[in-house]
Amino acid sequence: MTTWQVWGALLLAPYVLVFFVFVLYPVSYGLWLARNPESYRTLFEDPIFFTTVVNTIFFLLVAVNLKFVLALYLSGFFVHDRRWIRWLSVIFILPWAMPAIPTIFSIRFMFNPEWGVVNQTIFRLTGLDGPNWLTNPDLAMAMAMGVHIWKALPFWTLILMAGRLAIPKELYEAASVDGATAWQKFKYVTWPSLRTLYITSTLLSLIWTLGDFNSVYLLTGGQPADKTHVLATLGIRYIRLDQLDHAMATIVVALPFVLPLVYFMMRRLSGDEQKTSQ
Amino acid sequence: MTNRKLLSEAKLWLVAIPVLLWTLIPIYHIFLFSISTKDSAFSGRLWPDHPTLHNFVTVFKQEHFYLHHFWNQIWNSLWIAVAAGAITLAIATCAAFSISRLKAKGGRTVMNAALFTYFIPAAFLAVPMYKAMGTYGLLNNRWSLVLAMVTLAAPYAIWVLKQASDKLPWELDEAARIDGATPLQLFRLVYLPLMVPSLVAIFTYALLLTWNEYLYAFLLLSHENTIPLAVGLGHFLASDDSPWEILMATALIYGLPPAAIYYAFRRYMVGGLTAGAVKS
Amino acid sequence: MATVVFDSIFKSFGSTKVLHGISLDIANGEFMVLVGPSGCGKSTLLRMLAGLEDIGGGTIAIDGRVVNDLDSKDRDIAMVFQSYALYPHMTVGENMGFSLRLRNDERKRIEDRVAHAARILNLEPYLKRYPRELSGGQRQRVAMGRAIVRDPKVFLFDEPLSNLDAKLRVAMRAEIKALHQRLKTTTVYVTHDQVEAMTMADRIAVMNDGRIEQLGRPLELYDRPANLFVAQFIGSPAMNVFDGTYRNGAVEALGARWPCSAKAHEGQPVKYGIRPVHFDFGSGVEAEVVVVEPMGAETELVVKIGGQSLTVATHGRSPAAPGDRISLAPNAKHAHLFDAASGARL
Repeated sequence: MTTWQVWGALLLAPYVLVFFVFVLYPVSYGLWLARNPESYRTLFEDPIFFTTVVNTIFFLLVAVNLKFVLALYLSGFFVHDRRWIRWLSVIFILPWAMPAIPTIFSIRFMFNPEWGVVNQTIFRLTGLDGPNWLTNPDLAMAMAMGVHIWKALPFWTLILMAGRLAIPKELYEAASVDGATAWQKFKYVTWPSLRTLYITSTLLSLIWTLGDFNSVYLLTGGQPADKTHVLATLGIRYIRLDQLDHAMATIVVALPFVLPLVYFMMRRLSGDEQKTSQ
Repeated sequence: MTNRKLLSEAKLWLVAIPVLLWTLIPIYHIFLFSISTKDSAFSGRLWPDHPTLHNFVTVFKQEHFYLHHFWNQIWNSLWIAVAAGAITLAIATCAAFSISRLKAKGGRTVMNAALFTYFIPAAFLAVPMYKAMGTYGLLNNRWSLVLAMVTLAAPYAIWVLKQASDKLPWELDEAARIDGATPLQLFRLVYLPLMVPSLVAIFTYALLLTWNEYLYAFLLLSHENTIPLAVGLGHFLASDDSPWEILMATALIYGLPPAAIYYAFRRYMVGGLTAGAVKS
Repeated sequence: MATVVFDSIFKSFGSTKVLHGISLDIANGEFMVLVGPSGCGKSTLLRMLAGLEDIGGGTIAIDGRVVNDLDSKDRDIAMVFQSYALYPHMTVGENMGFSLRLRNDERKRIEDRVAHAARILNLEPYLKRYPRELSGGQRQRVAMGRAIVRDPKVFLFDEPLSNLDAKLRVAMRAEIKALHQRLKTTTVYVTHDQVEAMTMADRIAVMNDGRIEQLGRPLELYDRPANLFVAQFIGSPAMNVFDGTYRNGAVEALGARWPCSAKAHEGQPVKYGIRPVHFDFGSGVEAEVVVVEPMGAETELVVKIGGQSLTVATHGRSPAAPGDRISLAPNAKHAHLFDAASGARL
């Protein structure tokens, strides 16, 4: 080995160490803990688990897709070249730039059925009691999705904006000259250029949304009656109940869904790398 | 023609106003509570009759049951965030230099391992990590959160830094080698100075990620002397009659610095972070 | 000051062989140019000498010492890159003194050496500037300054002028040549531009496909190219070459007889080569003028003979116009014959 190779190995070592100690060993040990079929049997018999799986699927399908349709639309709005729109985009980033706790607590208080500003306003305007935003399980799940979208929308809008800005202006000018309507421009120019980015981002967001603990936990804490859990919060709930094997089992159940996505994303980034290095 | 122009401008505003309200209402709500007295906080008004800074005074003087350790907690938050930021920066810079410039053997495998960690949902990794930290005897030690956050932040940091390094001309390394540089001299005298913007972005990224983290913080730390402010804030939810106006004042103190840092370094952040994500 | 000896150098990238046993002796103080089309292996050879590329097989010796296993920094060489490779975060002075700083030389000595090099290259006013504040030619000069400061045994140049515009290229060419005459440091210079090779080199190695086609002084290559490749690579405008048959002391081709001084077997198929400047006007081969390219000092004509396009260059102006029929007399003394099969000179 030359000194260059020795230094290459030495400088790589700290991260390799971190990976072994805090990723590889914990994950292997966790999987070993989750090897007992018994924990899956009791997990499947737990009625909370079934509700949680349904919640999670809904959360992923609705929140992710809604978020991306909105992000796609808003990215088209924010690419307009106006000074005030640039300022608005700076404000628009706030939910993403701020930590989760203050803003989610704020939303939680706004929608408190008794004292929250929302229901107070509804009462003052109509004389009726507002809905039980956070104590009705279905409504509470919808609210959690709303919180998730509120927090994550700016980031993905930014990403899609960058994608839109990468499309050559000439394409739009040519389309205009050819007499294309706004919808036709989207369909024939924007979408074909943006599609790959849109799909990749959606898949990545699927994985990350699956791991979104804050939007649910800080808003509802899984309540009422543990009916608003998703897999991320359920795993943590089992930890708190000191049922580590159940916590791991919860995660293992999601792996057949997560791993292909992770594999796909890794392939995509590695593939990109080869392209750029050539 | 001007009519059409007016119409398209009006359409833009029709989007802008809902977006502005949607973005700002929850944030304004924090602000409103933090400057309201307890009575007016719950009156449902859009501006308090007598705006007051009293809530902040209460926080700073630690005059509420939930706030007895406020200064201690904010110190913990800061300490943990800076430590995690610095360690992430150091580890990721070395790794990116090794993979990108020294072409270390196994660099590609390590990069893949890092990407794997990056894509695994953080809440999933939390479970085995919690168990492992227990085994290592680190639970309730601030280092557990520092190391956990390094684990979470390093993969993306390496990825972004590697992307940035790959863009540096290869001839610079060759010129330095011919000029007689050792690997460490190349790292210190050529590589680091050229990478400064990306290093700033990565340090900021890891710092904010750690400051903002809640899940790992409340899993790994529970002793009131070790918890960061994020977990302290969570404690307000323990009872139904929490002092919301004081919570919101605390939340504002907690939430504004990261937002300010984000905006201060936005130039670096947006460039560096979207470059990594957008590449398509 | 040193000799450089390449001894049967081999190199492959994966399964592609890029160098097939190159041997080359470079004398002390010599200006050696490696020239050839891109992909011929010339840069690889230079980078192996620099220690930037592993040596696949064979040995490289500098000043009699085999350097195969030496790190770049221990070979006492300096290199000028095509992209200049200046450190963007260092001033011109810091760039030039970097190698000495790495050697822990005294500050005073570094300053003196940098000042000395700056004086040679007229860089004195720019020492405090950053590379981004300089023009392309100035950057090129700094890259050279970085090499001079070290006073190395061997200078290596890797296509150093390719990023400059045509006018600057000519000026820098002269400057590098003058620098070499002043410093007398052994120099290995890689380029794909045969004009650079011809004007600067003491000796040229023409490379193609991982082999040296011919090694010699510039005018030797021009006057007596060893094979078709060298004949067509060296000289501008390029040599005219066409197929013919050797009969009775001349070559029959394109419906005419072409005189030559070289000998071949009777009836042997050959390639006949003649440079555009080696035609006289007068009785000889009939040709039709197709294009006239006046360039002031000389005029190039593209003519058609028996369906083949040939280039003819004349001094001064030409009265010929497209469509004119003219008669050309090839200069037998300057005609080249090559074996049709092997391409070797006859």
